[in-house]
Amino acid sequence: MKTRSQRMALSATGIFVALLFFFPTYWMLTTALKKPGDILSTEYDLIPFSATLDNFTTAITKPGFTTFLTNSLIVTLGAVACALVAGLLAAVPLARMRFSGRRGFVLLVLVAQLAPLEALFVPMYLIMRDANLLDTLPSLLLVYMAFTLPFTIWTLRGFVKGIPIELEEAAMVDGCGRWGVFRRVTLPLLGPGLVATSVFGFVTAWNEFLYALVFMRDQSKQTLPVWLSSFRTAFGTDWGGIMAASVIYALPALVFFMLVQRKLVAGTTAGAVKG
Amino acid sequence: MSAPTVNPLLPAEAPPRAARPQRRFTAQRATPYLMLAPAVVILVALLGWPALQVLGISFRRLDLGELIRGEIVWVGFDNYREVLSDPEFWIIGLRTVLFTGACVVATIGLGLGIAVLMRHLDAPVRVALQIALVLAWATPIIATTTVFQWIFDQQYGILNKTLVALGFDGFAGYSWFTSGVSTLSVIGLLILWQAVPFIAFTLYAGLLGASKDLYEAASIDGATPLQAFRAVSWPALRPLLTMVTFLSVLWDFKVFTQIWALKQGGPDGESTTLPVLLYLKGISGSHFGVASAVAVLMLLILVGVTWRYMRLLVRSQETEL
Repeated sequence: MKTRSQRMALSATGIFVALLFFFPTYWMLTTALKKPGDILSTEYDLIPFSATLDNFTTAITKPGFTTFLTNSLIVTLGAVACALVAGLLAAVPLARMRFSGRRGFVLLVLVAQLAPLEALFVPMYLIMRDANLLDTLPSLLLVYMAFTLPFTIWTLRGFVKGIPIELEEAAMVDGCGRWGVFRRVTLPLLGPGLVATSVFGFVTAWNEFLYALVFMRDQSKQTLPVWLSSFRTAFGTDWGGIMAASVIYALPALVFFMLVQRKLVAGTTAGAVKG
Repeated sequence: MSAPTVNPLLPAEAPPRAARPQRRFTAQRATPYLMLAPAVVILVALLGWPALQVLGISFRRLDLGELIRGEIVWVGFDNYREVLSDPEFWIIGLRTVLFTGACVVATIGLGLGIAVLMRHLDAPVRVALQIALVLAWATPIIATTTVFQWIFDQQYGILNKTLVALGFDGFAGYSWFTSGVSTLSVIGLLILWQAVPFIAFTLYAGLLGASKDLYEAASIDGATPLQAFRAVSWPALRPLLTMVTFLSVLWDFKVFTQIWALKQGGPDGESTTLPVLLYLKGISGSHFGVASAVAVLMLLILVGVTWRYMRLLVRSQETEL
């Protein structure tokens, strides 16, 4: 049994580690809320005294901000939607039907999920160049869709398998066809799985940097992360503005992530093997 | 944290049905293939084809001139010879391996420590820690990178200010990005900060998976905490540790975003790793053939390092198919 002092020491360590991990987020938020004049000061200002939204106004009114935000939203949401449709179509037969070539396909998906796709940007760049898709949003949308598809198939297959087959059989007995079973039984039960999977896809695509940097040579076609990374050209040393922009960029990912964090841990560890 | 479970007693497919007319039968047999078709097309066209291409291009001379003229010039192993005979490649390769190793060891160590800590914490502190970890995990990479740049800022960064306030006056105006080692350390911290939460949560889930009864039995039998850890926690953790190590190697080896966004491989190329070299050769330099050779070599190194686990993973999935 733990003594009182042991518990205190444990709690203190826990709080210290929590503060450490919390600090960058805290610092991003408080800097974004500081008065622009207070940021570049030599005062030791760990705790802010005044708050203003000026920095957010600065960030939003930067030339191109709305364009970059829209670009990011289009490629991310587009990729997630396409991957979800193709992934669901593939997950159902992989989980429920028996046909030759199934094992091979599942292995293909597994390998694709592990493959370091970052190493493929040279041929991807050349392919997009040949297709006249450089500097267009579809090029990124296609690549992000391909990036998130293996994981989408893999996880959705698990979720489909998790639905008791008796439910589907019962619906068949009651006169539903294959499509009816899917629409009335499988799809509604898959709801949480679809949400979790699409959040993961969203975070992956929302984060992606390398391909956006390679494909979008035209500045007006950039996505948010690429624009943010070159903030010195846009913001100079206006740290308040850049932190406000970072907060805006981080917000959707944070919100979605919080919603499904528990499921993600379970999903990614489902394939662990003894070694 | 329940994983999607599969009941092994249930058949994987619907039970066989009575014979049907031939036409219906073929339509039904085509169904799975039709449903798989979109995914197959996407995976083959956007992953399989580029993977073949990178291999093909690595045996061609493909600079801007050849690209514009649309020429195909096969040069055998020339690109590989060029890359491998460049001492710079070996320095960068070694740096990448060491950097990956350091990041993996640090993330796994910290992640394991935090997982064990979480198991022993009282609920309010544990929840606070978990919230902090999720925030760190979910913040987009580039947002975190900009915050780190601000924290480590030479003149107004809070880190230098704190160090000065603590009495280390030498850190007033100290630049953290003047040497490769120092820059890579900051990048390592950045990676750690984002990667540890996933590892900690995964291992924590593993620890919770070991049943409370086992711990009770161990303590009744008079086991010390260390013995209990070895006999109860460790068997539950081992497969997960292998998996997160494997994933960390895979992820840390190919890190590009943080390195590029922070100092673009600088100062003076001292924080350049293989993925950055690949970008410099391929996109900045337009030497697509040489860059592809670098990419193939990178893939070979990765496969070499992770081969044993890959085989294990594939085999374990096969039995489950």
